[in-house]
Amino acid sequence: MIDITGIKKTYPASGLILDDIHLHIDPGEFVSIVGQSGAGKTTLVRLLIAEEKPSAGRIAIGGWDISNLAPSEVPYLRRQIGVIFQDFKLLPKKTVFENVAFALEVAGERRLRIRAVVPQVLGIVGLQDKRNHYPAELSGGEQQRVVIARSLVHRPKVIIADEPTGNLDTINAAEVIEIFKKINEFGTTILLVTHNRDVVNQLRRRVITIERGRLISDEKHGKYVL
Amino acid sequence: MSGLIRIISYALQDIGRNAGLSAMTVFMLVLMLLSLNVVWTVNQLAGESIALVKKEVRLSVFLAPDIADRSIDELENYLRSFPEVISVSRLNRDQALAEFKARYAGRGEVLSALNELTENPFGPIFMVAARDPADYQRLISALALPEYDRFIEGTSFEAHAGALERLGVIIRRVTEGGIILLGLFSLIAFLIIFNTVRVAISTQRAEISIKRLVGAGSWFIRGPYLVAAVLFAVVSVALTITLVLITLRYVDPYLRGVFTNGFSLTNYYRSHILVIIGGQLLAVLVLTVLSSGLAMRRQLRV
Ligand SMILES: Nc1ncnc2c1ncn2[C@@H]1O[C@H](COP(=O)(O)OP(=O)(O)OP(=O)(O)O)[C@@H](O)[C@H]1O
Ligand SMILES: [Mg+2]
Repeated sequence: MIDITGIKKTYPASGLILDDIHLHIDPGEFVSIVGQSGAGKTTLVRLLIAEEKPSAGRIAIGGWDISNLAPSEVPYLRRQIGVIFQDFKLLPKKTVFENVAFALEVAGERRLRIRAVVPQVLGIVGLQDKRNHYPAELSGGEQQRVVIARSLVHRPKVIIADEPTGNLDTINAAEVIEIFKKINEFGTTILLVTHNRDVVNQLRRRVITIERGRLISDEKHGKYVL
Repeated sequence: MSGLIRIISYALQDIGRNAGLSAMTVFMLVLMLLSLNVVWTVNQLAGESIALVKKEVRLSVFLAPDIADRSIDELENYLRSFPEVISVSRLNRDQALAEFKARYAGRGEVLSALNELTENPFGPIFMVAARDPADYQRLISALALPEYDRFIEGTSFEAHAGALERLGVIIRRVTEGGIILLGLFSLIAFLIIFNTVRVAISTQRAEISIKRLVGAGSWFIRGPYLVAAVLFAVVSVALTITLVLITLRYVDPYLRGVFTNGFSLTNYYRSHILVIIGGQLLAVLVLTVLSSGLAMRRQLRV
Protein backbone atom coordinates (compact mmCIF):
# COMPACT_ATOMS: atom_id res chain seq x y z
CA MET A 1 0.00 0.00 0.00
CA ILE A 2 2.76 2.42 0.94
CA ASP A 3 6.24 2.10 -0.55
CA ILE A 4 9.00 4.34 0.66
CA THR A 5 12.42 3.80 -0.90
CA GLY A 6 15.54 5.73 0.00
CA ILE A 7 13.80 8.88 1.17
CA LYS A 8 15.90 11.85 2.23
CA LYS A 9 14.61 15.24 3.29
CA THR A 10 16.74 18.30 3.83
CA TYR A 11 15.57 21.72 5.01
CA PRO A 12 17.91 24.60 4.29
CA ALA A 13 17.40 25.84 7.83
CA SER A 14 17.80 22.52 9.64
CA GLY A 15 19.90 20.29 7.42
CA LEU A 16 19.16 16.60 6.92
CA ILE A 17 15.90 15.67 8.70
CA LEU A 18 15.13 12.26 7.15
CA ASP A 19 17.98 10.03 6.10
CA ASP A 20 17.54 7.08 3.76
CA ILE A 21 14.19 5.75 4.97
CA HIS A 22 12.98 2.46 3.46
CA LEU A 23 9.52 1.27 4.43
CA HIS A 24 6.93 -1.06 3.00
CA ILE A 25 3.40 -1.20 4.39
CA ASP A 26 0.87 -3.78 3.19
CA PRO A 27 -2.85 -3.08 2.70
CA GLY A 28 -4.78 -3.49 5.92
CA GLU A 29 -1.85 -3.02 8.26
CA PHE A 30 -2.04 -0.94 11.43
CA VAL A 31 1.39 0.65 11.84
CA SER A 32 2.53 2.87 14.68
CA ILE A 33 5.45 5.23 14.21
CA VAL A 34 7.21 6.36 17.36
CA GLY A 35 10.26 8.45 18.08
CA GLN A 36 11.52 11.32 20.14
CA SER A 37 10.47 14.86 19.56
CA GLY A 38 12.24 16.26 16.51
CA ALA A 39 13.02 12.79 15.13
CA GLY A 40 11.31 13.60 11.83
CA LYS A 41 7.94 11.84 12.17
CA THR A 42 5.80 14.78 11.12
CA THR A 43 8.18 15.45 8.26
CA LEU A 44 7.57 11.91 7.04
CA VAL A 45 3.80 12.49 7.24
CA ARG A 46 4.16 15.73 5.25
CA LEU A 47 5.97 13.82 2.52
CA LEU A 48 3.24 11.17 2.46
CA ILE A 49 0.46 13.73 1.92
CA ALA A 50 2.55 15.67 -0.65
CA GLU A 51 2.72 18.77 1.50
CA GLU A 52 6.49 18.56 1.01
CA LYS A 53 8.61 16.91 -1.65
CA PRO A 54 11.43 14.50 -0.76
CA SER A 55 14.96 15.69 -1.51
CA ALA A 56 15.77 12.20 -2.75
CA GLY A 57 14.03 8.83 -3.03
CA ARG A 58 10.59 7.69 -4.03
CA ILE A 59 7.20 7.44 -2.32
CA ALA A 60 4.34 5.45 -3.83
CA ILE A 61 0.82 5.07 -2.45
CA GLY A 62 -1.21 2.26 -3.96
CA GLY A 63 1.33 2.13 -6.80
CA TRP A 64 1.01 5.88 -7.50
CA ASP A 65 4.34 7.70 -7.37
CA ILE A 66 3.66 10.84 -5.41
CA SER A 67 7.24 11.98 -4.82
CA ASN A 68 7.00 14.67 -7.47
CA LEU A 69 3.31 15.47 -7.68
CA ALA A 70 2.15 18.53 -9.65
CA PRO A 71 0.15 21.00 -7.49
CA SER A 72 -2.96 20.33 -9.56
CA GLU A 73 -2.77 16.61 -8.69
CA VAL A 74 -2.47 17.15 -4.95
CA PRO A 75 -6.23 17.47 -4.37
CA TYR A 76 -6.76 14.02 -5.92
CA LEU A 77 -4.21 12.48 -3.57
CA ARG A 78 -5.84 14.20 -0.58
CA ARG A 79 -9.15 12.62 -1.50
CA GLN A 80 -7.61 9.15 -1.44
CA ILE A 81 -5.94 9.34 1.92
CA GLY A 82 -7.46 10.43 5.19
CA VAL A 83 -5.31 12.84 7.17
CA ILE A 84 -5.68 13.56 10.87
CA PHE A 85 -3.51 15.95 12.88
CA GLN A 86 -3.06 16.66 16.55
CA ASP A 87 -4.78 20.03 16.30
CA PHE A 88 -8.31 19.35 15.20
CA LYS A 89 -8.44 20.99 11.80
CA LEU A 90 -12.10 21.89 11.45
CA LEU A 91 -13.62 24.92 9.76
CA PRO A 92 -14.90 27.00 12.70
CA LYS A 93 -17.76 28.60 10.79
CA LYS A 94 -19.22 25.33 9.54
CA THR A 95 -21.28 22.84 11.48
CA VAL A 96 -20.21 19.24 12.07
CA PHE A 97 -22.34 18.10 9.16
CA GLU A 98 -21.03 20.86 6.87
CA ASN A 99 -17.41 20.18 7.82
CA VAL A 100 -17.76 16.53 6.85
CA ALA A 101 -19.85 17.32 3.76
CA PHE A 102 -17.25 19.86 2.62
CA ALA A 103 -14.72 17.14 1.79
CA LEU A 104 -17.30 15.54 -0.51
CA GLU A 105 -18.53 18.79 -2.03
CA VAL A 106 -15.06 19.88 -3.14
CA ALA A 107 -14.69 16.53 -4.88
CA GLY A 108 -17.86 17.25 -6.83
CA GLU A 109 -19.99 14.55 -5.17
CA ARG A 110 -23.71 14.70 -5.76
CA ARG A 111 -25.95 16.08 -3.08
CA LEU A 112 -27.86 12.83 -2.77
CA ARG A 113 -24.70 10.86 -2.05
CA ILE A 114 -23.53 13.49 0.42
CA ARG A 115 -26.82 13.16 2.29
CA ALA A 116 -26.26 9.43 2.51
CA VAL A 117 -22.55 9.30 3.33
CA VAL A 118 -22.23 12.02 5.96
CA PRO A 119 -24.67 10.48 8.49
CA GLN A 120 -23.01 7.13 7.88
CA VAL A 121 -19.51 8.32 8.82
CA LEU A 122 -20.84 10.41 11.69
CA GLY A 123 -22.42 7.17 12.88
CA ILE A 124 -19.09 5.37 12.81
CA VAL A 125 -17.57 7.94 15.19
CA GLY A 126 -20.77 8.19 17.27
CA LEU A 127 -21.60 11.84 16.56
CA GLN A 128 -24.92 11.52 14.74
CA ASP A 129 -26.70 13.66 17.31
CA LYS A 130 -24.11 16.49 17.20
CA ARG A 131 -24.41 17.09 13.48
CA ASN A 132 -25.65 20.68 13.82
CA HIS A 133 -23.09 21.76 16.41
CA TYR A 134 -20.24 24.12 15.57
CA PRO A 135 -16.70 22.92 16.42
CA ALA A 136 -16.50 25.37 19.33
CA GLU A 137 -19.50 23.58 20.88
CA LEU A 138 -17.71 20.22 20.96
CA SER A 139 -15.17 18.69 23.34
CA GLY A 140 -11.66 18.01 22.07
CA GLY A 141 -12.38 14.30 21.69
CA GLU A 142 -15.56 15.03 19.76
CA GLN A 143 -13.75 17.45 17.47
CA GLN A 144 -11.12 14.86 16.74
CA ARG A 145 -13.85 12.32 15.97
CA VAL A 146 -15.36 14.76 13.46
CA VAL A 147 -11.96 14.98 11.79
CA ILE A 148 -11.84 11.19 11.64
CA ALA A 149 -15.35 11.08 10.19
CA ARG A 150 -14.31 13.60 7.56
CA SER A 151 -11.23 11.54 6.68
CA LEU A 152 -13.50 8.56 6.04
CA VAL A 153 -15.92 10.10 3.53
CA HIS A 154 -13.89 9.12 0.47
CA ARG A 155 -13.49 5.53 1.73
CA PRO A 156 -9.71 5.98 1.79
CA LYS A 157 -7.39 3.01 1.52
CA VAL A 158 -5.01 4.71 3.94
CA ILE A 159 -5.47 6.87 6.99
CA ILE A 160 -2.48 8.84 8.23
CA ALA A 161 -2.79 10.23 11.73
CA ASP A 162 -0.12 12.44 13.31
CA GLU A 163 -0.51 12.33 17.11
CA PRO A 164 -4.31 12.33 16.91
CA THR A 165 -4.52 11.81 20.66
CA GLY A 166 -1.90 14.40 21.56
CA ASN A 167 -4.43 16.90 22.90
CA LEU A 168 -6.80 14.36 24.44
CA ASP A 169 -7.14 12.86 27.90
CA THR A 170 -6.79 9.11 28.43
CA ILE A 171 -10.47 8.29 27.98
CA ASN A 172 -10.94 10.34 24.83
CA ALA A 173 -7.64 9.01 23.47
CA ALA A 174 -8.74 5.42 24.05
CA GLU A 175 -12.03 6.17 22.28
CA VAL A 176 -10.22 7.56 19.25
CA ILE A 177 -7.94 4.52 19.10
CA GLU A 178 -11.00 2.25 19.32
CA ILE A 179 -12.41 4.00 16.28
CA PHE A 180 -9.15 3.47 14.41
CA LYS A 181 -9.24 -0.21 15.26
CA LYS A 182 -12.77 -0.43 13.97
CA ILE A 183 -11.83 1.32 10.73
CA ASN A 184 -8.80 -0.96 10.41
CA GLU A 185 -11.08 -3.98 10.69
CA PHE A 186 -12.93 -2.74 7.58
CA GLY A 187 -9.59 -3.17 5.76
CA THR A 188 -8.26 0.39 5.85
CA THR A 189 -4.51 0.77 6.29
CA ILE A 190 -3.65 2.94 9.26
CA LEU A 191 -0.44 4.84 9.89
CA LEU A 192 -0.42 6.23 13.40
CA VAL A 193 2.28 8.58 14.66
CA THR A 194 2.14 8.70 18.43
CA HIS A 195 3.90 9.53 21.66
CA ASN A 196 1.46 7.54 23.70
CA ARG A 197 3.16 4.55 25.27
CA ASP A 198 -0.08 2.95 26.51
CA VAL A 199 -1.66 3.16 23.09
CA VAL A 200 1.26 1.46 21.39
CA ASN A 201 1.67 -1.24 23.97
CA GLN A 202 -2.00 -2.05 24.04
CA LEU A 203 -2.30 -2.25 20.27
CA ARG A 204 0.36 -4.98 19.86
CA ARG A 205 0.72 -4.16 16.20
CA ARG A 206 3.66 -3.25 14.01
CA VAL A 207 5.83 -0.48 15.50
CA ILE A 208 8.43 1.56 13.64
CA THR A 209 10.90 3.68 15.55
CA ILE A 210 12.62 6.72 14.06
CA GLU A 211 15.59 8.35 15.70
CA ARG A 212 17.30 11.47 14.36
CA GLY A 213 15.88 10.92 10.90
CA ARG A 214 16.80 7.25 10.64
CA LEU A 215 14.57 4.20 10.90
CA ILE A 216 16.15 2.25 13.73
CA SER A 217 13.66 -0.51 14.46
CA ASP A 218 10.68 -2.20 12.84
CA GLU A 219 8.87 -4.85 14.88
CA LYS A 220 5.84 -6.93 13.95
CA HIS A 221 4.26 -6.89 17.42
CA GLY A 222 6.19 -4.09 18.93
CA LYS A 223 6.29 -2.20 22.16
CA TYR A 224 7.09 1.38 22.91
CA VAL A 225 10.78 1.07 23.66
CA LEU A 226 12.09 4.61 24.00
CA MET B 1 -22.22 23.91 -12.83
CA SER B 2 -23.05 22.39 -9.47
CA GLY B 3 -19.52 23.44 -8.51
CA LEU B 4 -20.37 27.07 -9.23
CA ILE B 5 -23.56 26.82 -7.21
CA ARG B 6 -21.59 25.35 -4.31
CA ILE B 7 -19.01 28.12 -4.54
CA ILE B 8 -21.73 30.77 -4.48
CA SER B 9 -23.47 29.12 -1.56
CA TYR B 10 -20.16 28.92 0.37
CA ALA B 11 -19.72 32.63 -0.27
CA LEU B 12 -23.21 33.41 1.02
CA GLN B 13 -22.63 31.19 4.04
CA ASP B 14 -19.30 32.91 4.80
CA ILE B 15 -20.90 36.33 4.53
CA GLY B 16 -23.82 35.32 6.73
CA ARG B 17 -21.75 33.67 9.44
CA ASN B 18 -19.27 36.55 9.53
CA ALA B 19 -22.14 39.02 9.59
CA GLY B 20 -20.34 41.62 11.70
CA LEU B 21 -17.30 41.74 9.47
CA SER B 22 -19.43 41.71 6.32
CA ALA B 23 -21.56 44.60 7.57
CA MET B 24 -18.44 46.56 8.49
CA THR B 25 -16.95 46.04 5.06
CA VAL B 26 -20.12 47.13 3.29
CA PHE B 27 -20.48 50.10 5.66
CA MET B 28 -16.99 51.35 4.87
CA LEU B 29 -17.48 50.90 1.15
CA VAL B 30 -20.77 52.81 1.30
CA LEU B 31 -19.13 55.62 3.30
CA MET B 32 -16.39 55.89 0.73
CA LEU B 33 -18.84 55.86 -2.17
CA LEU B 34 -21.04 58.45 -0.47
CA SER B 35 -18.17 60.88 -0.08
CA LEU B 36 -17.26 60.27 -3.69
CA ASN B 37 -20.84 61.12 -4.66
CA VAL B 38 -20.81 64.26 -2.52
CA VAL B 39 -17.69 65.57 -4.22
CA TRP B 40 -19.09 64.64 -7.58
CA THR B 41 -22.40 66.40 -6.87
CA VAL B 42 -20.73 69.52 -5.50
CA ASN B 43 -18.61 69.71 -8.61
CA GLN B 44 -21.65 69.31 -10.77
CA LEU B 45 -23.51 72.03 -8.88
CA ALA B 46 -20.52 74.33 -9.03
CA GLY B 47 -20.20 73.96 -12.77
CA GLU B 48 -23.93 74.40 -13.22
CA SER B 49 -24.18 77.54 -11.08
CA ILE B 50 -21.17 79.19 -12.68
CA ALA B 51 -22.68 78.53 -16.09
CA LEU B 52 -25.97 79.92 -14.89
CA VAL B 53 -24.48 83.09 -13.45
CA LYS B 54 -22.32 83.58 -16.49
CA LYS B 55 -25.36 83.37 -18.66
CA GLU B 56 -27.22 85.97 -16.59
CA VAL B 57 -24.46 88.52 -16.45
CA ARG B 58 -25.14 91.57 -18.61
CA LEU B 59 -23.18 94.67 -19.30
CA SER B 60 -25.44 97.69 -18.96
CA VAL B 61 -24.43 100.70 -21.02
CA PHE B 62 -26.27 103.85 -19.87
CA LEU B 63 -26.70 106.36 -22.62
CA ALA B 64 -27.29 110.08 -22.37
CA PRO B 65 -31.01 111.08 -22.42
CA ASP B 66 -30.45 113.43 -25.32
CA ILE B 67 -28.67 110.96 -27.58
CA ALA B 68 -29.77 110.94 -31.21
CA ASP B 69 -31.33 107.81 -32.67
CA ARG B 70 -28.62 107.67 -35.33
CA SER B 71 -25.93 107.59 -32.69
CA ILE B 72 -27.77 104.81 -30.90
CA ASP B 73 -27.81 102.70 -34.05
CA GLU B 74 -24.18 103.46 -34.71
CA LEU B 75 -23.23 102.42 -31.18
CA GLU B 76 -25.25 99.25 -31.44
CA ASN B 77 -23.54 98.29 -34.69
CA TYR B 78 -20.21 98.99 -33.07
CA LEU B 79 -21.09 96.68 -30.18
CA ARG B 80 -22.35 93.97 -32.47
CA SER B 81 -19.12 94.02 -34.42
CA PHE B 82 -17.31 92.32 -31.54
CA PRO B 83 -17.23 88.51 -31.94
CA GLU B 84 -17.54 88.13 -28.15
CA VAL B 85 -20.93 89.78 -28.14
CA ILE B 86 -23.85 87.38 -28.30
CA SER B 87 -26.71 89.82 -28.14
CA VAL B 88 -27.49 93.47 -27.63
CA SER B 89 -30.92 94.50 -26.44
CA ARG B 90 -32.15 98.00 -26.04
CA LEU B 91 -34.35 99.69 -23.42
CA ASN B 92 -35.80 103.00 -24.51
CA ARG B 93 -36.11 105.89 -22.08
CA ASP B 94 -39.58 104.93 -20.86
CA GLN B 95 -38.56 101.34 -20.36
CA ALA B 96 -35.48 102.46 -18.45
CA LEU B 97 -37.66 104.56 -16.17
CA ALA B 98 -40.12 101.71 -15.67
CA GLU B 99 -37.29 99.34 -14.86
CA PHE B 100 -35.88 101.74 -12.32
CA LYS B 101 -39.26 102.20 -10.70
CA ALA B 102 -39.77 98.48 -10.56
CA ARG B 103 -36.40 97.94 -8.93
CA TYR B 104 -37.03 100.57 -6.25
CA ALA B 105 -40.70 99.70 -5.81
CA GLY B 106 -40.32 99.37 -2.01
CA ARG B 107 -38.32 102.56 -1.48
CA GLY B 108 -40.77 105.46 -1.27
CA GLU B 109 -38.15 108.19 -0.76
CA VAL B 110 -36.34 107.24 -3.98
CA LEU B 111 -39.57 107.20 -5.94
CA SER B 112 -40.86 110.48 -4.52
CA ALA B 113 -37.53 112.12 -5.35
CA LEU B 114 -38.00 110.81 -8.86
CA ASN B 115 -41.53 112.18 -9.02
CA GLU B 116 -40.26 115.66 -8.16
CA LEU B 117 -38.60 115.71 -11.54
CA THR B 118 -40.76 116.90 -14.38
CA GLU B 119 -38.76 115.10 -16.99
CA ASN B 120 -37.64 111.48 -17.34
CA PRO B 121 -33.97 111.65 -16.32
CA PHE B 122 -33.11 108.30 -17.87
CA GLY B 123 -31.51 107.72 -21.18
CA PRO B 124 -31.78 104.49 -23.18
CA ILE B 125 -29.87 101.47 -21.94
CA PHE B 126 -28.03 98.74 -23.84
CA MET B 127 -28.00 95.29 -22.27
CA VAL B 128 -25.02 93.46 -23.74
CA ALA B 129 -24.51 89.72 -23.36
CA ALA B 130 -21.05 88.36 -24.07
CA ARG B 131 -19.75 84.86 -24.37
CA ASP B 132 -17.62 84.99 -21.23
CA PRO B 133 -17.59 87.35 -18.23
CA ALA B 134 -13.94 88.07 -18.98
CA ASP B 135 -15.04 89.61 -22.26
CA TYR B 136 -16.89 92.46 -20.51
CA GLN B 137 -13.74 94.12 -19.33
CA ARG B 138 -12.52 94.26 -22.92
CA LEU B 139 -15.85 95.68 -24.10
CA ILE B 140 -15.77 98.36 -21.43
CA SER B 141 -12.32 99.51 -22.51
CA ALA B 142 -13.43 99.33 -26.14
CA LEU B 143 -16.26 101.72 -25.29
CA ALA B 144 -13.97 104.19 -23.55
CA LEU B 145 -13.30 106.07 -26.76
CA PRO B 146 -13.34 109.93 -26.82
CA GLU B 147 -15.97 109.99 -29.58
CA TYR B 148 -18.42 108.00 -27.41
CA ASP B 149 -17.60 109.88 -24.26
CA ARG B 150 -20.48 112.28 -24.81
CA PHE B 151 -23.17 109.55 -25.32
CA ILE B 152 -22.21 107.12 -22.63
CA GLU B 153 -22.99 108.12 -19.09
CA GLY B 154 -21.73 104.95 -17.56
CA THR B 155 -21.43 101.20 -17.65
CA SER B 156 -22.41 98.90 -14.90
CA PHE B 157 -20.78 95.60 -14.68
CA GLU B 158 -18.37 95.93 -11.76
CA ALA B 159 -20.99 94.95 -9.24
CA HIS B 160 -21.78 91.75 -11.17
CA ALA B 161 -18.10 91.05 -11.64
CA GLY B 162 -17.56 91.21 -7.91
CA ALA B 163 -20.46 88.86 -7.29
CA LEU B 164 -19.14 86.44 -9.87
CA GLU B 165 -15.70 86.49 -8.33
CA ARG B 166 -17.16 85.87 -4.89
CA LEU B 167 -19.18 82.96 -6.25
CA GLY B 168 -16.04 81.53 -7.83
CA VAL B 169 -14.24 81.71 -4.50
CA ILE B 170 -17.11 80.09 -2.63
CA ILE B 171 -17.30 77.26 -5.16
CA ARG B 172 -13.57 76.73 -5.01
CA ARG B 173 -13.74 76.56 -1.20
CA VAL B 174 -16.61 74.09 -1.25
CA THR B 175 -14.87 71.88 -3.82
CA GLU B 176 -11.65 71.98 -1.82
CA GLY B 177 -13.59 71.04 1.29
CA GLY B 178 -15.22 68.17 -0.60
CA ILE B 179 -11.91 66.87 -1.83
CA ILE B 180 -10.43 67.02 1.66
CA LEU B 181 -13.50 65.15 2.91
CA LEU B 182 -13.11 62.53 0.18
CA GLY B 183 -9.42 62.17 1.01
CA LEU B 184 -10.25 61.73 4.70
CA PHE B 185 -13.00 59.17 4.04
CA SER B 186 -10.83 57.27 1.59
CA LEU B 187 -8.00 57.16 4.10
CA ILE B 188 -10.31 55.87 6.85
CA ALA B 189 -11.88 53.37 4.45
CA PHE B 190 -8.47 52.23 3.32
CA LEU B 191 -7.23 51.77 6.89
CA ILE B 192 -10.32 49.85 7.96
CA ILE B 193 -10.41 47.65 4.87
CA PHE B 194 -6.69 47.06 5.16
CA ASN B 195 -7.12 45.99 8.76
CA THR B 196 -10.14 43.85 7.89
CA VAL B 197 -8.14 42.09 5.21
CA ARG B 198 -5.22 41.66 7.60
CA VAL B 199 -7.46 40.03 10.18
CA ALA B 200 -9.09 37.95 7.46
CA ILE B 201 -5.69 36.77 6.29
CA SER B 202 -4.88 35.08 9.56
CA THR B 203 -8.26 33.40 9.95
CA GLN B 204 -8.39 32.44 6.29
CA ARG B 205 -4.88 31.05 6.30
CA ALA B 206 -5.91 28.34 8.74
CA GLU B 207 -9.10 27.70 6.80
CA ILE B 208 -7.33 27.44 3.48
CA SER B 209 -4.83 24.93 4.80
CA ILE B 210 -7.74 22.84 6.08
CA LYS B 211 -9.53 23.05 2.76
CA ARG B 212 -6.37 21.96 0.98
CA LEU B 213 -5.97 19.13 3.42
CA VAL B 214 -9.34 17.64 2.54
CA GLY B 215 -8.65 17.91 -1.16
CA ALA B 216 -10.24 21.17 -2.27
CA GLY B 217 -8.99 22.44 -5.61
CA SER B 218 -7.96 26.05 -6.18
CA TRP B 219 -11.40 27.11 -7.36
CA PHE B 220 -13.15 25.85 -4.28
CA ILE B 221 -10.71 27.92 -2.24
CA ARG B 222 -10.50 31.11 -4.34
CA GLY B 223 -14.04 31.09 -5.66
CA PRO B 224 -15.98 32.00 -2.52
CA TYR B 225 -13.67 34.93 -1.74
CA LEU B 226 -14.04 36.31 -5.23
CA VAL B 227 -17.80 35.84 -5.20
CA ALA B 228 -17.93 37.59 -1.81
CA ALA B 229 -15.85 40.49 -3.15
CA VAL B 230 -18.22 40.88 -6.10
CA LEU B 231 -21.27 40.71 -3.82
CA PHE B 232 -19.83 43.36 -1.47
CA ALA B 233 -19.24 45.63 -4.43
CA VAL B 234 -22.72 45.16 -5.87
CA VAL B 235 -24.47 45.60 -2.52
CA SER B 236 -22.50 48.68 -1.51
CA VAL B 237 -23.02 50.41 -4.86
CA ALA B 238 -26.74 49.59 -4.83
CA LEU B 239 -27.06 50.90 -1.26
CA THR B 240 -25.16 54.07 -2.06
CA ILE B 241 -27.14 54.87 -5.18
CA THR B 242 -30.40 54.28 -3.31
CA LEU B 243 -29.29 56.57 -0.48
CA VAL B 244 -28.16 59.23 -2.93
CA LEU B 245 -31.42 59.15 -4.89
CA ILE B 246 -33.46 59.39 -1.68
CA THR B 247 -31.35 62.33 -0.47
CA LEU B 248 -31.69 64.08 -3.81
CA ARG B 249 -35.44 63.92 -3.52
CA TYR B 250 -35.11 66.28 -0.53
CA VAL B 251 -32.35 68.42 -2.02
CA ASP B 252 -33.95 69.03 -5.39
CA PRO B 253 -36.82 71.27 -4.19
CA TYR B 254 -34.22 73.69 -2.76
CA LEU B 255 -32.28 73.61 -5.99
CA ARG B 256 -35.40 74.40 -7.96
CA GLY B 257 -35.48 77.75 -6.16
CA VAL B 258 -31.90 78.49 -7.18
CA PHE B 259 -31.67 77.02 -10.65
CA THR B 260 -34.33 78.73 -12.64
CA ASN B 261 -33.23 76.82 -15.73
CA GLY B 262 -34.83 73.69 -14.32
CA PHE B 263 -31.59 71.91 -13.44
CA SER B 264 -32.30 68.92 -11.20
CA LEU B 265 -29.76 66.59 -9.66
CA THR B 266 -32.23 63.72 -9.75
CA ASN B 267 -32.60 64.16 -13.49
CA TYR B 268 -28.85 64.45 -13.82
CA TYR B 269 -28.35 61.17 -11.94
CA ARG B 270 -31.13 59.46 -13.85
CA SER B 271 -29.73 60.41 -17.22
CA HIS B 272 -26.17 59.40 -16.27
CA ILE B 273 -27.18 56.38 -14.19
CA LEU B 274 -25.31 53.81 -16.29
CA VAL B 275 -22.07 55.76 -16.15
CA ILE B 276 -22.49 56.45 -12.43
CA ILE B 277 -23.31 52.87 -11.48
CA GLY B 278 -20.77 51.40 -13.88
CA GLY B 279 -17.98 53.70 -12.75
CA GLN B 280 -18.55 53.14 -9.06
CA LEU B 281 -19.03 49.40 -9.48
CA LEU B 282 -15.77 49.20 -11.37
CA ALA B 283 -13.94 51.24 -8.74
CA VAL B 284 -15.21 49.14 -5.83
CA LEU B 285 -14.69 45.87 -7.70
CA VAL B 286 -11.09 46.80 -8.35
CA LEU B 287 -10.67 47.62 -4.66
CA THR B 288 -12.36 44.50 -3.24
CA VAL B 289 -11.08 41.98 -5.76
CA LEU B 290 -7.60 43.44 -5.53
CA SER B 291 -7.52 43.30 -1.74
CA SER B 292 -8.89 39.77 -1.47
CA GLY B 293 -6.71 38.73 -4.41
CA LEU B 294 -3.64 40.06 -2.66
CA ALA B 295 -4.65 38.32 0.54
CA MET B 296 -5.18 35.03 -1.30
CA ARG B 297 -1.96 35.22 -3.26
CA ARG B 298 -0.07 35.25 -0.01
CA GLN B 299 -1.97 32.33 1.44
CA LEU B 300 -2.28 30.10 -1.58
CA ARG B 301 1.44 29.58 -1.75
CA VAL B 302 1.70 26.13 -0.16
N1 LIG C 1 9.63 23.59 7.40
C1 LIG C 1 10.76 23.30 8.09
N2 LIG C 1 11.89 23.99 7.86
C2 LIG C 1 13.01 23.71 8.54
N3 LIG C 1 13.10 22.76 9.47
C3 LIG C 1 12.02 22.03 9.75
C4 LIG C 1 10.79 22.26 9.07
N4 LIG C 1 9.86 21.37 9.54
C5 LIG C 1 10.51 20.63 10.47
N5 LIG C 1 11.81 21.01 10.61
C6 LIG C 1 12.79 20.43 11.51
O1 LIG C 1 12.80 19.04 11.29
C7 LIG C 1 12.99 18.36 12.51
C8 LIG C 1 11.96 17.26 12.62
O2 LIG C 1 10.70 17.86 12.76
P1 LIG C 1 9.38 16.97 12.84
O3 LIG C 1 8.24 17.89 12.96
O4 LIG C 1 9.37 16.00 11.73
O5 LIG C 1 9.61 16.20 14.21
P2 LIG C 1 8.65 15.16 14.94
O6 LIG C 1 9.32 13.88 14.94
O7 LIG C 1 7.30 15.23 14.34
O8 LIG C 1 8.62 15.78 16.41
P3 LIG C 1 7.39 15.83 17.42
O9 LIG C 1 7.32 14.47 18.05
O10 LIG C 1 7.81 16.86 18.42
O11 LIG C 1 6.18 16.19 16.66
C9 LIG C 1 12.93 19.37 13.61
O12 LIG C 1 14.23 19.60 14.13
C10 LIG C 1 12.41 20.63 12.94
O13 LIG C 1 13.06 21.74 13.47
MG1 LIG D 1 5.36 15.91 14.94
